[in-house]
Amino acid sequence: MLPRLAFRNLWRNSRRTLLTLSAMVASSALLILALGVFSGMFADMLASATEQYHGHLVLSRPGYQDDRDMFAHFADDPDLADQLRRRPGVRGASPRLRAFGLVAHGNTTRPAELLGIDPERESQVTSFSRQLIAGHYPQKSEADAALIGAGLAKRLGVRPGDELVFLTQAADGSLGNDLLTVSGIFETGAGNRDNALVLVQLSWLQRLTVLPGKIHELALTIDEPMAAAELAASLKPVLPDGLALRTWGQLLPEMQEVIASYDVSRLILVTILYAATGLGILNTIFMSVLERTREFGILMALGMKPGEVRSLVLLETLVLAVISLILGVAAGIAMTLYMQRVGFDLSPYLSAVTYAGGTLPPRLTAVLDGQNLLVPAAALLLVALAAGYFPARRAARLKPVEALRED
Amino acid sequence: MPSAIATVVLCFLGFASPVFALDLRELIRQVETQYHGSSAQARVSMEVATDNWRRTLEMESWSLGREHFLTRILEPPKEKGVATLKVRKEVWNYLPKVDRVIKIPPSMMGGSWMGSHITNDDLVKGSQVDEDYTFALLEETATSWRIECLPKPEAAVVWGKLVYEIEKVRKLPVRVDYYDEALQPVREIVFDEVREIGGRVLPSRMTVRPLDKPAERTLMRYHDIRFDLALTEDFFSLRTLKAR
Amino acid sequence: MSLIQLNNVGKIYPLGSQQVIALADIDLEIGAGEFTVFAGPSGSGKTTLLNLIGCLDRPTSGSIRIDGRETGGRTAREMADFRLHHIGFIFQSYNLVPVLTAAENAEFTLMLQKIPKAARRRRVEELFAALGLAGLEDRRPNDLSGGQQQRVAIARAMAADPRVILADEPTANLDSQTSEELLRLMRRLNEEQGTTFIFSSHDPQVIHLARRVIRLKDGRLESDHRQSPKTAA
Repeated sequence: MLPRLAFRNLWRNSRRTLLTLSAMVASSALLILALGVFSGMFADMLASATEQYHGHLVLSRPGYQDDRDMFAHFADDPDLADQLRRRPGVRGASPRLRAFGLVAHGNTTRPAELLGIDPERESQVTSFSRQLIAGHYPQKSEADAALIGAGLAKRLGVRPGDELVFLTQAADGSLGNDLLTVSGIFETGAGNRDNALVLVQLSWLQRLTVLPGKIHELALTIDEPMAAAELAASLKPVLPDGLALRTWGQLLPEMQEVIASYDVSRLILVTILYAATGLGILNTIFMSVLERTREFGILMALGMKPGEVRSLVLLETLVLAVISLILGVAAGIAMTLYMQRVGFDLSPYLSAVTYAGGTLPPRLTAVLDGQNLLVPAAALLLVALAAGYFPARRAARLKPVEALRED
Repeated sequence: MPSAIATVVLCFLGFASPVFALDLRELIRQVETQYHGSSAQARVSMEVATDNWRRTLEMESWSLGREHFLTRILEPPKEKGVATLKVRKEVWNYLPKVDRVIKIPPSMMGGSWMGSHITNDDLVKGSQVDEDYTFALLEETATSWRIECLPKPEAAVVWGKLVYEIEKVRKLPVRVDYYDEALQPVREIVFDEVREIGGRVLPSRMTVRPLDKPAERTLMRYHDIRFDLALTEDFFSLRTLKAR
Repeated sequence: MSLIQLNNVGKIYPLGSQQVIALADIDLEIGAGEFTVFAGPSGSGKTTLLNLIGCLDRPTSGSIRIDGRETGGRTAREMADFRLHHIGFIFQSYNLVPVLTAAENAEFTLMLQKIPKAARRRRVEELFAALGLAGLEDRRPNDLSGGQQQRVAIARAMAADPRVILADEPTANLDSQTSEELLRLMRRLNEEQGTTFIFSSHDPQVIHLARRVIRLKDGRLESDHRQSPKTAA
C-alpha cells in the first residue's frame, strides 16, 4: 500500500507535480539529446581523424611515426598485407610510402607531403575518394596521377589536368624530380592535409625516391575503432620482426585526450543540468511534506514508524523520478533518433573546425549510445533521491504531538 | 699589433672600441667573400656523406659580388645540368629532366641544398654575416683570433651564435662553429689545405659537419677559381639558369 | 488489575524561560471495558493526559502502565510500535488520509502490521457492516459526510483490536444528531465487544453518555465519579 499511497500523494497538488515532472522530463530528454549530439560530434571527429589519413592501426618500423625517417622503410610484402586483412575485425590494409619535398606549378612552389598509395586499397582505409571537390580519384592505370588537397591546389593555382613538378631528396641522395598530372582535388576540412598533402601512385613514388618495393607503413582500418588497442595486441604475434603497430590513439594523443575528457565533460553537463532540476525536486517534495505535517502526525499516531515515514517520502520522490525517467528517456531517444536521421546543417553559419587531429564538419548529428541513456537516467535517480532525502528526514523526525497540533 | 692589444685591454676595462669593431666586421666580411672577389668562376667538387649514402658532385659556379650566384652540376650524369641560381634573397633550381624551374619558397630555405649539409639559407644569408651580427674578440693567440658573432636583435637569422677562428698572418678562416638559439653547438665548418688558387692564397677544402650526426659531412673542394671576370647581373638570370 | 495505571504523573512544557505545568500528580486507574471521559475546559490538561496514555508523548515525571507495561522511556520507533499494537485513535476532525479510500483508511493499521490483504479485507468488511458503512468501501473521504468519515475513523481505530481507543473531542465537528448517533454506536461497541474507550471532551452530550467522568482543572484531577449509564439505544 505504501507505493500506492506514494503514487497518489504525488497528485494531491497535480499542477506542482506536473511542473516538476516536466522539468525533470525536459532536462533528462535534453541531456540525452545533448550527449547524443556530443557523441555524434565525437564520432565525426574520430572518423575524420582516422579515415581522413591515418587509419585505425598503422604498421611501421618503430619510431617511424615520430621522425618520419625515409630510411625506416620495409618491403611491401603482399602476403603480409593479405594475412592482416584476413584477420577478423580488420576491414582493409593499405601500403604507403611517404616523401616530403617541393611541389611546384608555374612560378609557385610549396612544401608538400607525398603519400604513395595503391588507390584501390587506400580507399578501404581512408575517405579521400569520397571527399573530391573536382576531378576524379586516381585509377590504377594513371601512373602519374596526383590527388591534391584543396588548399594546396588553390595556392598553386592548379585544376584537374594541370601539371605539377615534384622535387625531393631520393634515398640515394640524388634529386628526385618528376612531373605529375592533377587527377582530382580533395577537401577534408583539415588544414594540415588540405594545404600540404598530395596522393600519388605508390609505384611512381617508389621510383622517384629510389625505394623500389619499399613502403613506410601499412595502414589498417578495423571494425571497432574503440577496441584498436586490443586488436593491435592480438595481431602482435603475426607481425614480422622489426615492425610495430600503432593505434590511432597513439598517433593522435590529443584525440585520445578528447575521449578521456569526454567523460568529464559529460559529467559536468549532467551536473549542471541536474543541479537545477534537483533544486526543483527538493522544493516540490519539501513543500508537500510541510503541507502534510498534520497528516504525518496522524499516520505516526496510528503507529507508522519514523523509518516508514521516511520511506514514504523517498518513495514519492522515486515514483516522480521513475515516471520522468521513462518519459525523459523516451523523449530523449526520440529526439536523438530524429537528429541522427535528419541532422542539422550548420554550413551556412560555420565552416569545418579542426581540433585534436580530427575535423568537425559543420553539421549536427547524433549517435544513440547506451552510455548516454544510462548516465542521465542513473543520475536523475540519484539526484531525485538526494533531493528527497532532506524532506524525508524532516518528516521522519516530526514529533506526533507537535505535528498533530499543526493545521 | 699594438692597437689590438690596446683594444683587448679596453675590452677588459669594459669599453668597446668602435674602431676595432669595424675591423672585426671587415675581417669577417673578407672571410665570407674569400671565394667570391668582385666576381668569380670556380670548379668545385662536393662530396656528401650521410648515414645512408655517399656521393660526389662536380660543379661549376659563377658569382658576382655577394648577391648573385649560379652553379650547375656537371657530374654525375643523373644530375647533370641541375642548376641553382641565387639572386639577392631568392633561390631557384633548374631541373633538366623535366625542364622546369622551381623557386624555393621562403619556408623551405632551411632545407638542404642539393642533398648536402649546406642549406639554401646558407647560400642566401651566409654571405651577409657581417651585416646581421655584432662582433666581439673572444680570444687572441700568437697565431689566431677567435671572434664571437651574436645576431643583431632585428636580424632574421637561424643561428644563435657564430664563432670564427681566423689565422692572423694570412687572415684566412680556420674554422667556424655554429650554435643554435639555445647556444648549443650544432655545426662546424673547418677550412684547410691552403694553397694558391686563382692568384690568391685560400683554403682549398671546406668540411661541414652536423654535430648531431658525427658520421656525416659535406666536403667542398675548390679546384680552380678565376677572379674578377667581366660578369654582369644579366648573366644571373632564369634564362642562363635554363641554358645547358 | 487495571488496564491503565498512572502513578504520580506530571507533564511540564518549557515555554520560553518559564515552565508550564500541564499535568501534576495524576494518579489514576482505568479498567478494561470502561467508557470514560476526561472532561474539563480547554487548557485543563485533558488532551495532554490522553496523549500520555496514548503513548504519543512522554510524562515528565511519574509512570504510566498499560497492561502492566511501562510506556515511558522508549524510542520514537518503539513508541510507534506500541501505539500500533495497543492503541486506537479517533481524532477531532476525522483526519482520514484523503488519497486513500474508506476501506484503505480503515485497514491502514493492519497494513502497518503487515497483515495479509485477504485478512485485512475480511476485517474491514466486518467493521463496515457493524458501523453501517457497507457499500462505501471505495469512496474517498471527500465523498463522505462528516458522520460517515468519523465512522470510518472509528473503523480505523478498531481495526487492529487495540486494548484501548482514545478519542480526542470526537464530536467537535459534528452536528448534535450525528454526534448522538456516533456516541451510541461507540457505546454499543463498548458493550457488545468490550472495547475500552477513553474520550476527552467538554461536550455535555458525551459526558452524559459516559459511565465514568473524570474532571480535570488546571492540570489536576478535580473529580472522578461513575454514573449509571444510559443504555445504548
